[in-house]
Amino acid sequence: MKPLRLLALFVIPLGIIIAAVPPDRVKHFRLTADELLQEAGAGVQFVSPDVVADMLVQKDPSLRLIDVRTPEEFDAYHMEGAINIPLSSLLSDEYTDILHQDAYMNVLYSNGSVYANQAWMITRQLGYENNFVLEGGLNYWFGNILSPQAPSQTSPNEEFAKYDFRKSAAAALGGGNIVATEGGATAVKAVKPPVASKAKKKPSGGC
Amino acid sequence: MGPLAPNGIISENTNFLLAFFIGIAFGWVLESSGFSSSRKLAGIFYGYDTVVLKVFFTGAITCMLGLLFMSLFGWVDLDLIYVNPTYLTSAIIGGVVMGAGFIMGGFCPGTSFCGAAIGKIDGMVFVAGLFIGVYGFAFTYPLWEKMYMARYLGEPKVSEKLGMSDGLFGLLLIIAAIGMFAVAEWAERKFPREEY
Repeated sequence: MKPLRLLALFVIPLGIIIAAVPPDRVKHFRLTADELLQEAGAGVQFVSPDVVADMLVQKDPSLRLIDVRTPEEFDAYHMEGAINIPLSSLLSDEYTDILHQDAYMNVLYSNGSVYANQAWMITRQLGYENNFVLEGGLNYWFGNILSPQAPSQTSPNEEFAKYDFRKSAAAALGGGNIVATEGGATAVKAVKPPVASKAKKKPSGGC
Repeated sequence: MGPLAPNGIISENTNFLLAFFIGIAFGWVLESSGFSSSRKLAGIFYGYDTVVLKVFFTGAITCMLGLLFMSLFGWVDLDLIYVNPTYLTSAIIGGVVMGAGFIMGGFCPGTSFCGAAIGKIDGMVFVAGLFIGVYGFAFTYPLWEKMYMARYLGEPKVSEKLGMSDGLFGLLLIIAAIGMFAVAEWAERKFPREEY
């Protein structure tokens, strides 16, 4: 009986300790590689620029644009109301509550979509939700939303509807002036929706 | 941070080398605990000797506590630890076959090698039978495949199924183990056998 009592004296307190401490202290990554591959393969992280444009025009308060480029690039140009979280400091503690939340729809963007995708992958692996990637990135945004190209005559009606929407969105978002000459387009600059509410400005790092 | 091999801290070959030494140590512990005697092993089924239960359960809860504490200290990522996938049907049938073989032969696979290593003829015969079984299964695999793969459950954990934390389940398992040890020692007193 003696060894049994000794064993019990030793392991039961250890068991009580392990039962009392919070679990999963080491589990940094919430998604397995398989799950992540599945999500990335399905492209669930992408949000279409038209949707973002629509939300910006509607001044949807739940939209939060996050620029993952460097602060220099961010200073040179950034989307209206965007905050800057450079990819290199994505994991810094000050940004955790921006990326790990369930109130906003975070839309990450970079020039293309590679860096934004990398940022999304990291946040997704950490188990964060509500982070998305702007499909096509800033390049597509410039080329197609802010200065839409008229579809050819033979295009289906949807293309024309899209074009009309993009044209009006571009006007509302102050687009056009980037490629157009100074003139008509600049006049609508005043319409720029102040998408950046206080809540969004607050955590802006780097701007 | 562990586990060492999946995280690339040690190479696959080093891993095998470590496994080799751990295997030798395991065999030595088995032999010195008397596990190369089939009478001692079979005692668990009759109640006169429950050292099998005690050694293996002590090993299991020690390992469990070790892993949980190493996880707590951030030394090992439990998600990367390999867990045998569960195929329920073959697990049950395999368990019955293994248990029946254990009672009849007086060895389990590991201890039969232990017995064979110290020159026990019954151990060697058991090892031979083990290989017949392995090859027999392998060559007739298409016959069994459907049953073998039936009712795949993934890698379930009891704690997850019961919706409790790993730590709490660990504590319950420890208490259950201590309880079983007490019952086992009671059985040893109740069904004593003089010489074996």
